[in-house]
Amino acid sequence: MQNKKIVILYGSETGNAQDFAHILSHKLKRLHFSHTLIKIGDYHPKSVLQCKYLFIICSTTGQGELPRNARENCNGRAQGTLWQFLKKSTLPADLLDHVNVAMLGLGDSSYPRFNFGIRKLHERIVNQLGASEIFPRLEADELGLAGSNKDTGNGVESVYYEFEKRIIAYMLEKYPNRKHDGKMMPRVGLAEDVYLKPSNILEISTVNGSTNDQLPDSKIQFVGDETIRHGTVKKNNQITAKDHFQDVRQFVFETEDHEAYHPGDTVSLYPENSDNDVELFLEAQPHWKKVADELLTITDLENCDRFRDGGVVKPLTLRTLLKYHFDIVSIPRQSFFMKTWTFANAHEDRPTDQELLEQQRDKLRQFGYGQDLQDLYDYCNRPRRSVLEVIQDFEFLKLPWEFALDYLPMIKPRFYSISSAPSDPNVELTIAIVRYKTLLRKVRKGLCTNYLLTLTENDTVRYKLQNNHLLHEDIIGKPIIMTSPGVGLAPMKCLIESNLFKDQYLFFGNRMKDKDFLYEDTLSMWKKEGKINLFTCFSRDPINSPHAKYVQDQLWNQSSLIADLILKKSAIVYICGSSGKMPVQVRLTIVEILKKHGNFENAEEAEHYLKEMERTDRYMQETW
Amino acid sequence: MTVSRDSLVLIHPAVTQQPELLETIEKGSILSETTIVAQYLINKLNDGTISPDDEKYDVIYYVTPEKPEAIQFPPKLIPVLHKTLKPSGRLYGLSDTLKVDALINGFEIVSNNGSEYYWVKESREKKAPVSISLKGNMKNGASAPVALPSFKKLNKTQPIGSSPSAGLAVSLKKLPTFKKLTKKVSAIKLTDSDLEDDDDDLESDDSANNSKTKFFDDFDDPETGDSIDEDDLIAETEEDTITMIQCGKSKQRRRKACKDCSCGLKEMEEQEIESRRAKQQQVIKFSEEELTEIDFTIEGKKVGGCGSCALGDAFRCSGCPYLGLPAFKPGQSINLNSISDDL
Repeated sequence: MQNKKIVILYGSETGNAQDFAHILSHKLKRLHFSHTLIKIGDYHPKSVLQCKYLFIICSTTGQGELPRNARENCNGRAQGTLWQFLKKSTLPADLLDHVNVAMLGLGDSSYPRFNFGIRKLHERIVNQLGASEIFPRLEADELGLAGSNKDTGNGVESVYYEFEKRIIAYMLEKYPNRKHDGKMMPRVGLAEDVYLKPSNILEISTVNGSTNDQLPDSKIQFVGDETIRHGTVKKNNQITAKDHFQDVRQFVFETEDHEAYHPGDTVSLYPENSDNDVELFLEAQPHWKKVADELLTITDLENCDRFRDGGVVKPLTLRTLLKYHFDIVSIPRQSFFMKTWTFANAHEDRPTDQELLEQQRDKLRQFGYGQDLQDLYDYCNRPRRSVLEVIQDFEFLKLPWEFALDYLPMIKPRFYSISSAPSDPNVELTIAIVRYKTLLRKVRKGLCTNYLLTLTENDTVRYKLQNNHLLHEDIIGKPIIMTSPGVGLAPMKCLIESNLFKDQYLFFGNRMKDKDFLYEDTLSMWKKEGKINLFTCFSRDPINSPHAKYVQDQLWNQSSLIADLILKKSAIVYICGSSGKMPVQVRLTIVEILKKHGNFENAEEAEHYLKEMERTDRYMQETW
Repeated sequence: MTVSRDSLVLIHPAVTQQPELLETIEKGSILSETTIVAQYLINKLNDGTISPDDEKYDVIYYVTPEKPEAIQFPPKLIPVLHKTLKPSGRLYGLSDTLKVDALINGFEIVSNNGSEYYWVKESREKKAPVSISLKGNMKNGASAPVALPSFKKLNKTQPIGSSPSAGLAVSLKKLPTFKKLTKKVSAIKLTDSDLEDDDDDLESDDSANNSKTKFFDDFDDPETGDSIDEDDLIAETEEDTITMIQCGKSKQRRRKACKDCSCGLKEMEEQEIESRRAKQQQVIKFSEEELTEIDFTIEGKKVGGCGSCALGDAFRCSGCPYLGLPAFKPGQSINLNSISDDL
């Protein structure tokens, strides 16, 4: 039974907050602090009554919201979650005065609503509901490698380590001793090379063969998540030129229940590893291969939250776990090394070069416990090296499969904007296939898009549909300026077809007109019908796009039109596409347009006007 | 009654807006019979600015404009008030909303058909120091008020000095063990598996939770209560104490480039990758001679000038031409086709 008085909560979108939460959990466990580790969205509100020490790590998503797994429980419902409860206006100001809280926000300052997630939690939990702060909250900035609260270091990781350091110092001061076998003794952390046995262990099933539905060769199913749906693939076409370097797909599948959806809604898909990668993993860990097809059970499965989203595969074997659950092509995080370095050991079956073993063991340990992280970053993140490749590099790393759930990352669903007309039973996604080169000789492939490439008509995909409520009633019916280079076009297509807006202006850009003008026929037709006003630009195609390289150039070319739409007709601005320079440049351009045509007294006024647009959701940005 | 009785008046902050309320109460029958020794805002007690002496007062009066059924009082202060009362001392001004907290902290509730209501510090020893009997079983204690004494109804208000229970308390007070027993177990320890057993400063908190439970119960009905607007939680002009540290180019060690890098680090990184690739292209054209030079197939031989080339990227120098290739295993020949591919 996990202790309910010490609780680590996390809200994570990309997995950073989750990994830090797991590292903190790991460190506390090694100091014999029993505690609960859970996503904010899955934490039962009433449990907070028993909570005394609360550690929250949370990122921010969308328009300054808490991440999905903080807002919603694992079944995708907001009803009954902690956050919904805390937002109730009737709560007394001392509701949380029994809680000591420490908070860490992970943010990206290229978004105007930087770290709003943790700031909202902080304002409500500390300032309004009376929880005591152990130390002022910390905020980290992924974009600028910035730290927070001066001198705590440099980079998101160092801010995290500062957070961890303060929590551990505080807890050790409070509880310097612990009880062991009825005797009090000083609280001393486990030696680094002692592996802490996890609660969910894989065991070879003893009831072999008695249940037919668990035979290794029976049909693959997933059990435990009622909310997952199965779609039937209808179309999977490349819509860029065949000789173009970038493969963009029009991927269409028919929904199971013909669910309703609206502009801005998304679909999450559950990818699989390739059989080849599974095989490579098994070859790198020969002792896994020997039992790869044995039926397994998981101890304490009911308290394992790893399969809550998507369910657990059946039949359950190491092979099926590797194919459907373990994200072996993801970049390993620090916690992976922290937990596994101690498994670099001599192999019984062959002579050991002791020096080599020591070298590997030390290096893995350093990756796991080093606080600088530059080396780990250079080794893993920068070249985008996968777990599989790390295991191939470190031949002495002999991973015990029994504990795999503890140290191997899990495959997470990937989210895509819907581009088909609202509630069309054939959901259309517009997906850029992820392939690129880094320092590594092997081409990097995105797990999900690589999986999608293998799908053909009538194949089944597992998915969930999310209603994101992007559009508020008071913005509907106004003119809209859509700025969406590349596959940012996806949600715009759905939005245009919804006919919710009066005049629709689309600014689309890509590299070359003849290679990657996505949905050229459809867009041209809509333009002809007067459904949209279309402005295109192609950055590597001066012949077809002589006056504009990027969407922001095209916006600037149309500046009087844009100013008129925004200032006189209360137009909505919606930007979608990859993050980085585009959204920043577009925003700057819009400010300049407002300055030029807006008759504002000074530049600050124009900037303020745009900020007000952001605050009231007239200026929306969805970038990734 | 010749003995002077000391009283303490505690004030809800809102009373400062209604001084007449305080005046009425001070002139009332209860306080006028006592000497008001001190008068504090409840906040002072709550934040620990003031910590009253043990067993100092005969009467404590909490003055609040709240309706009795809606009193919000920090339950953690109830044991504090208990401590500062003399045995059989009385606490006025709180209500049955805090019944459970009163009982577990060693008060008896005296209610005389609504005309008279106060809490009395129980003079009988066993009730007071909850912490001792509940050690190791704190949760049961806190959530099982059934085992606690029920109300005592008095038909007549008895002057404190003459009540039989007060007499007992006086004699108890003389016992040297009394104070010791009322003290909580001070050593706060935490066990490996179970924080609850030894962490006795959690007790008051759990009792606090009893009065909070109702907010959670209401929640089960989605229709009840409005919600605040999330956006209101962010102040437009929030002056943040967060200090940002700027990008890392100036640091001694090279850092990774920011996502929107404008200092040139990103370009540097890109260039570096380009030049690496160029180097790799050369490496790929190993001549027979070169292959012997870096013969990784010789068992136990870790080749390269630095001795680390075969170990993989984790060990290779930053300028190593083999960066980006897997570790070379002794006894395995290198098949460059198997370790590289094209877009």
